[in-house]
Amino acid sequence: MIFSLAEAVRLTEILVGFAFAQQSIEHLKTHSPERFLFLPRLILALLLIAGIYTQWVLLLLLLFGLAILYRFQGPYNGGADRMSLLILISLTLVHVAPNTYLQEVAFGYLAIQLILSYFISGWVKVVNPDWRSGRALSDVFLFSAYPVSESLRSLSQSPHLLLAMSWYVMLFELLFPIALLTQNSLIVALVITATFHFSNACLFGLNRFFWIWIAAYPSLIWFQQRIFI
Amino acid sequence: METTNSKSLFSVIFSTLKSLLPAIIPSWNFFDYIAPSPRAQFALLHSEDGLPSKWHEYCPQPDYISFITMLKRMFWNSQWNESLYVMSCAERLMDKPTHHSEDEILNCIKQYVIANNQKYNLENIKHLQFRLVFIKRQGEELQHEVTFLSRIAAFSNQSTVKTP
Repeated sequence: MIFSLAEAVRLTEILVGFAFAQQSIEHLKTHSPERFLFLPRLILALLLIAGIYTQWVLLLLLLFGLAILYRFQGPYNGGADRMSLLILISLTLVHVAPNTYLQEVAFGYLAIQLILSYFISGWVKVVNPDWRSGRALSDVFLFSAYPVSESLRSLSQSPHLLLAMSWYVMLFELLFPIALLTQNSLIVALVITATFHFSNACLFGLNRFFWIWIAAYPSLIWFQQRIFI
Repeated sequence: METTNSKSLFSVIFSTLKSLLPAIIPSWNFFDYIAPSPRAQFALLHSEDGLPSKWHEYCPQPDYISFITMLKRMFWNSQWNESLYVMSCAERLMDKPTHHSEDEILNCIKQYVIANNQKYNLENIKHLQFRLVFIKRQGEELQHEVTFLSRIAAFSNQSTVKTP
């Protein structure tokens, strides 16, 4: 599977449009004025998926992104919002860049940040003795607000399973950059990371992370081909 | 007057762009350590000077969630994401207290109470207050500490909480 820059950018636009639509719909149930930010954002997300006036749609989505940051005085959904803005900035720069080289730099930056998102997450965990012993993950299940049901808290009483899960997460995050060496290893790594995000969505309710991280994957597939093939 | 407005506009633009910076150069240090975890609890009051008699958990987790529900929540997880936002506001309140964070939590709790009105006796309820309880590990024990008590805000089924 060979991805041109244009194809990878277009696929990212479709995936991020879907992620933005999903996020925006969740806000429409509220009675507060924030609906007036998310209804137009939903329409813009649908236009992005359809590929209509893409450059202007991206610019408007970026403006709405800034307005939403101001409305919530920071991100509403932490890392998921930050990745949303990063993808948006990258795509906008691709469309306004005057030449292919700068377009590639803008899109490549997204791919590099995606790699770092795994590697740094793995690094900050492996240097923490609580993560290496499995205690940190035990604490996540024991008292953090993330587990979506009380029954999941009983997992904190399974030290061997949590130790194995901790090392599994740390190792695949730390080794993720190596996956770029071949296309097959990258595909395997992306399946593993997507499964990881899916698990986080099921266990901790982090559904927005799943959709928005998946949206950045085409940039990495393109980047791997651009650099290594 | 014009200078004040310009300064205010500049301040809004500056603070918004400052919030954008972590998106351009993210830190990606997810779960680097497991920080004390906030819970928001609220009390429904009959009068402004009433004392809370019972603290209710905001958005408590159910005992069990089926895999089908988990799959549905991949697409629609509005209440849960709002509760994560309340957690963020709680952490912000501890780092740098602002009316915004306090108001946001009050508003989210109010919406939650209205949406779940069958769970609570709302008759003659005119006010609302919340507190933040942070849970952390202390050795082998879990320690619960009340770290913040909000102002008492008016509660009605329609209005939103306004910054004083």
